[in-house]
Amino acid sequence: MGQITLDKVTKRFGEVEVIPPLDLEIGDGEFTVFVGPSGCGKSTLLRLIAGLEDVSGGQIRIDGRDATETPPARRGLAMVFQSYALYPHMSVRKNIAFPMKMAGVPEDEQKRRIEGAAKALNLTDYLDRRPGQLSGGQRQRVAIGRAIVREPAAFLFDEPLSNLDAALRVGMRLEISELHERLKTTMIYVTHDQVEAMTMADKIVVLRAGHVEQVGSPLELYRSPRNLFVAGFIGSPKMNFIEGEEAGRHDARTIGIRPEHVSVDPSGPWSGVVAVSEHLGSDTFLHIHETGLCDVMTVRAGGELDVHHGDRVRLSPDLSKLHRFDGQGLRIA
Amino acid sequence: MATQHSRAAARVMISPAVILLLGWMLIPLGMTLYFSFLRYNLLMPGANPFVGWENYSYFLSDPAFQTAIVNTLLLVLGVLLITVVGGVLIALLLDQPMWGQGIVRILVIAPFFVMPTVSALVWKNMFMNPVNGLFAHLFQALGLAPFDFLAQAPLASIIGIVSWQWLPFATLILLTAMQSLDSEQLEAAEMDGASPLARFFHIVLPHLARAITVVILIQTIFLLSVFAEILVTTNGGPGTASTNLTYLVYAESLLRFDVGTGSAGGVVAIILANIVAIFLMRMIGKNLDA
Repeated sequence: MGQITLDKVTKRFGEVEVIPPLDLEIGDGEFTVFVGPSGCGKSTLLRLIAGLEDVSGGQIRIDGRDATETPPARRGLAMVFQSYALYPHMSVRKNIAFPMKMAGVPEDEQKRRIEGAAKALNLTDYLDRRPGQLSGGQRQRVAIGRAIVREPAAFLFDEPLSNLDAALRVGMRLEISELHERLKTTMIYVTHDQVEAMTMADKIVVLRAGHVEQVGSPLELYRSPRNLFVAGFIGSPKMNFIEGEEAGRHDARTIGIRPEHVSVDPSGPWSGVVAVSEHLGSDTFLHIHETGLCDVMTVRAGGELDVHHGDRVRLSPDLSKLHRFDGQGLRIA
Repeated sequence: MATQHSRAAARVMISPAVILLLGWMLIPLGMTLYFSFLRYNLLMPGANPFVGWENYSYFLSDPAFQTAIVNTLLLVLGVLLITVVGGVLIALLLDQPMWGQGIVRILVIAPFFVMPTVSALVWKNMFMNPVNGLFAHLFQALGLAPFDFLAQAPLASIIGIVSWQWLPFATLILLTAMQSLDSEQLEAAEMDGASPLARFFHIVLPHLARAITVVILIQTIFLLSVFAEILVTTNGGPGTASTNLTYLVYAESLLRFDVGTGSAGGVVAIILANIVAIFLMRMIGKNLDA
């Protein structure tokens, strides 16, 4: 079990309210991702759930029980830290055994669980090494192993992949997703990387300045962002926003169109000059100036498109994929 | 420093400093060795004949020598124990966020800035004096007989004074080490269910191991040669109760004016200090690797 409910949870540091009253429901077995720009309060929120910070108001319920005042160790949650927080003077085996040792788990049970975790995480050959002798990815797996053996109600991940290089990050992303499929345990994952959020989450919580901007599945957020912030944050490359006359023609203050919904089309209604074309092989990202619509329009075109700096192209938007926003930046349905 | 020419030039240019330092060390050492084989007593001027190992056998068979060795060890170990344990505890306290942290930290460091003779005299006259000392007043206020620290427990008193001087040093080094501990490690241990005491023994103390090693190594070197505190308080007495090796060498050469035996004692002290240093490096020096 691992159902977590936040009821009007508030956090203040002195006079500064970093998290205004916030309600959130995290279902049992869900992979929930908190995503937002740095300083949006997502890590603080995670630490409130973990119990490492005291809430200033409101209630945290874990499996229906009030856990607001429960010390971290008794909440039945395990956390994987950004720096992994491995104990440098202990071997991998002792690191993984530490929470069980503290809980007084019998020796042979400890051994069984360590072996299980080591096998699941490919750490069997490294059990007697120190963390300092491991690579970043291995350390990450030790940190996860230390969390698994506690058999927690929920896992909390605080930007666990931000210290890894790009290739490892993709690999670990898959491993964590697979782990979730296997364990079916609730996971809460904090990241500033919307790609991680999109690829891993069952449910994404987009945060800005402590406010929940939108909660939904990755595709819901992609298809119908509730406001300009979510629209701009989810999706890569970012959505193009167009204001003024062109937006007025669609009865909106701002319209948004994703780069993948604009195509290079000789008969298209918009035109502009190519500033940069990034050829990725599978796709080409065009950065187009002088459209008369916005500063820079990003367009995702086919990979084999042969355009260069200075070429004038005509563009055609897919009007069925157009997002319209009103004066407050809210979505017009 | 890449070319052969520039490397040669560099060698020439650092050679004056190297030669000066080398001479500074080798000449006194050579003279001490030389004197230690002479019958050289300032009270009996005249010929200084070569006497072989005579000075050494006098020095080593002197009953005061054994006392001095024991006292030296007690002094070093006692001060190390007090400063390391006390230093860890004080550093733990100073690491807590509190009002006036900066001032408190400076105050804690202050004893280290007081020169040894002064602090020993302050302790002797203002605290431990059986008539006028603060401790004597305290004892009288409680209706107890004043305790003459320097006469009844001379070595323990000196250990106390020296510990007071070195506690700030240990605290400072251990505090900086404590502040370099990643707070996420403590939080992880907290999540793992470790009590504050378990966190201290499993996380904080192992993290401090290297700093404690540094404190022990540096302090041992200085504590083997404690001298001023003894000279201004007990003069090594009563009898030889607070005489350490350094003080014994001083007593031989400058109280008994026997330069030869004093030199032999100096050489013995050098050898013993090196043995201690080798053992220390063997035992705890491995903490400094990695």
